[in-house]
Amino acid sequence: MADGVSPLVWKEEREISFMSKCHKAMKEKGLDTKLRNTVFHWVRTQNKQSKLDPLTSLTKASVQWEKRIHKSLNSMCSDLETSLAKFRFQSELEELAEKWNELSTYNLDLSKYRPVYAPKDFLEVLITLSGYVPFTKEDEPKWEFAHLPLQVKTLDQLRKIYIEWSNGEPLLGVSPNMPSQVNDFPTLEAERIGLGERVAALGYAPVIQEYLKRGSPQCLRAKLWAQVLGAEVSAQQISYFNQLKRSVLEVDLMIDKLIFKDVQLTASNDDQYFVFEDLLYQVMLCFSRDCEVMQQLRGSTGTPLTVAIKGRQTSADSVTVFPPSGIIPFHGFTMYATPFCYLYDDPVQLYFMFRAFYLRYWHRLHYISTHPQGIVSLCLLYERLLESNEPLLWIHFRNINVNPGHLPPEQLLLLWDSILGYDCLEILPLLSLAILSFRKENIFQVNTLQNVDAVLADLSTISVIPLLQLALMKP
Amino acid sequence: MTSSAKICTNGATSNGLKKRLHFCSDFDRSIVINTFLRHGWKEVSPEGDWNIYWSNTLNCRNLFMENRHRLQDNQLINHFPNHHELVRKDLLVKNFNRYRKELERNNHPLAEKIQVRDPSGRTVTRYLYLDFIPTTYILPTDYNLFLEEYRKSPQTTWILKPCGKSQGAGIILINKLSQLKKWSRESKKYLQHQLTSKDTYVISRYIDNPLLIGGKKFDLRIYVLVTSYRPLKAYMFRNGFCRFCSMKYDKSLTELDNVYVHLTNVSVQKHGEEYNESHGGKLGIQNLKLYLQGTRGSDVTKRLFEDIQWLIVHSLKAVAPVMLNDRHCFECYGYDIIIDTDLKPWLIEVNASPSMVGTTENDRILKNRLVDNILSVVLPPNGIPDARWNKTPSSDALGDFDVLIDEDLIYKDNIAQLARETGQGPMRK
Ligand SMILES: Nc1ncnc2c1ncn2[C@@H]1O[C@H](COP(=O)(O)OP(=O)(O)O)[C@@H](O)[C@H]1O
Ligand SMILES: [Mg+2]
Repeated sequence: MADGVSPLVWKEEREISFMSKCHKAMKEKGLDTKLRNTVFHWVRTQNKQSKLDPLTSLTKASVQWEKRIHKSLNSMCSDLETSLAKFRFQSELEELAEKWNELSTYNLDLSKYRPVYAPKDFLEVLITLSGYVPFTKEDEPKWEFAHLPLQVKTLDQLRKIYIEWSNGEPLLGVSPNMPSQVNDFPTLEAERIGLGERVAALGYAPVIQEYLKRGSPQCLRAKLWAQVLGAEVSAQQISYFNQLKRSVLEVDLMIDKLIFKDVQLTASNDDQYFVFEDLLYQVMLCFSRDCEVMQQLRGSTGTPLTVAIKGRQTSADSVTVFPPSGIIPFHGFTMYATPFCYLYDDPVQLYFMFRAFYLRYWHRLHYISTHPQGIVSLCLLYERLLESNEPLLWIHFRNINVNPGHLPPEQLLLLWDSILGYDCLEILPLLSLAILSFRKENIFQVNTLQNVDAVLADLSTISVIPLLQLALMKP
Repeated sequence: MTSSAKICTNGATSNGLKKRLHFCSDFDRSIVINTFLRHGWKEVSPEGDWNIYWSNTLNCRNLFMENRHRLQDNQLINHFPNHHELVRKDLLVKNFNRYRKELERNNHPLAEKIQVRDPSGRTVTRYLYLDFIPTTYILPTDYNLFLEEYRKSPQTTWILKPCGKSQGAGIILINKLSQLKKWSRESKKYLQHQLTSKDTYVISRYIDNPLLIGGKKFDLRIYVLVTSYRPLKAYMFRNGFCRFCSMKYDKSLTELDNVYVHLTNVSVQKHGEEYNESHGGKLGIQNLKLYLQGTRGSDVTKRLFEDIQWLIVHSLKAVAPVMLNDRHCFECYGYDIIIDTDLKPWLIEVNASPSMVGTTENDRILKNRLVDNILSVVLPPNGIPDARWNKTPSSDALGDFDVLIDEDLIYKDNIAQLARETGQGPMRK
């Protein structure tokens, strides 16, 4: 053609310019970040395990464990002559609604209620997973998980994942007051705040995730955590939360008492969390009613009970999954929510953060599966780490799941930064190992298991991040 | 003192606190005694040859008034003779008002004033940097002044406190003049004009918008150690705590006389039904900081804690000129501070004998550390009390104390720079 521009090229150019205009417009409106975040969050929810667990021994154990819990729920119900689910009387409903913001004053007789299970019970189940006990001499370590055909990482592989830590990069949780390596900032903390503010303003989840690896200043955490998990609150979330509240008010589930009891046993008597007691009742009660939790965890948790709700004419809606979330709380469950109280004073925002964290991470610690982030793999990882790095230090791994209540909130928040930043739980077994090595001297001095527990129980003076970085850095 | 105080040293040890000193204490079940005993010190009577006397305020005053003892160089006591200038509710206000007036008279930049609108829309004049004690009148003396102020904003709630009592005793909240009149009729206080301190009251504007956490009111208990008033040397203990009410805050009139809603004293709260013995309503101040940083941001939190330091320093400067600056004295004060919803701290009162009894396990740990750190700040490096020492502890000796102010150091540093800095103090506009 005479003018030398083929219509095709012209069309292409036009398309490109349309695309770039589009892109520009989206950028200006912040839509591209939104879109990219949506894709990011969607992809992260898709890599769930949907096929059946390949290890039949584990599947069996998991089913048995679930059965045991259901049985104990049912027998508690018949012992206490109550039902799993019943509609509340109007008067009760009104009282609960009136006291919604101060549920600590809602009087319940909980003396006969006991937690369905404690983490220790679950640990015992894990230990006896297949009944396989390798032959060992009396004084030699008995590695419990070694026979399971699961792949776990070695310390060297972990070093590659936690590359920033193992390279000795400055971490906020190690020395916030050290001089900054970047000009214009007096300290590392100031530098992290400066950078963090820009990252938060950008609002792009993968960047935030990257940022969290080296620790977030407390003043930005609330925002960054919500962004990285896509747990920001809008009108839709508020109305959803109110719906959950509604169903707490309407239906009395037997586990409500267990929830009350758990908040009482964990937060109400704890001098770091007692002020948040009333918030926690709301959050934990609403969580039990949240059927989206069950939907999102389908396949990676078990099969919950279905029960009839007593007290009204039987109709279609008087049958419920028990509990609607599918999660039966254990003793200490509330501790998964307590650290968030230092970030959010609004119950709705607190709720959605807690839920997002549970859905992404914590549920893995309570279901027997072969998932690489699951509790069995983490136990195995812990055992292997111990075996190859502290061969002399043998202990029944009572402490795989470091009880979060024992670390001060500031330490927990730093630890959780790293879970979000590296998007994995392997830091927990590593922490257990690090604490063990750190307290090695003391452990060698005591000889009963009880005393070992005592040595490990007081974590109030431990700085977790320096300990972890030390463990990850090459000797 | 006739017999000179004796000191038994363990010879070999160089660590100051390992010296075997003699102590005396007016308190029975106290963390103080335990700490002294833990150091291996020996208890003696008030008449004995003590090196450190942890006295109650009355005995201390008597000791100085009777003048039967001349304290030796190796003797220290835990109160200044006229500490009431700071810790009695009416005198604190008097001294502080005088301090501000004097600064104003000298056209000091600290005494700058501004016009602000109060909640009722009235324009009032306030000190820009020195407005941190709620407006207070002394009764019966200032009764007419109070009436004048009351009429200007009749919807304000007031809090009436006896000057001679503590631990929340005798306090009432007042939001109608008739209540005050009724009270005065009944107690015949201001009619009789008997001006002993027992009959003196203060009436202060009630801070009705306290910062709430979990819906509950709290105040701060902060420990401040003063080792000298001229030059002023003061240290703030890092591990104070919040004392929470056990019931939700409620401004409504029906709850106005409910002490469990309004008074944060542990001595009050522990009688409440909701009181919990395992935490005692106490949240560590570091956790308060963490919470505020997380929910409100770091700038406002930093500002709040700077304002608190500012408030303490100026309350001490206000009384420094009238204090008898005896070199044998040190004093650990318990500051009561309320934070309002704008994160502005208000000084409520100062206590000369803050409770040294541990109410919970963590409280015990905290107070043990407090007493330990007090000792290491007030004792010279060789561990033997010495009134002639320049009272400049090493940074190691400070423990969990931070220097609030040390005029020795400041003067040494640069006087000109000080003038510049105090000219732009940290208090908000
Ligand atoms: N102006 C005020 N505004 C709000 N609360 C106050 C005020 N004054 C006192 N309070 C509350 O009353 C308590 C006791 O008052 P305080 O002056 O400390 O007297 P006491 O010597 O009895 O402790 C304080 O701890 C605080 O909770
Ligand atoms: Mg007081």
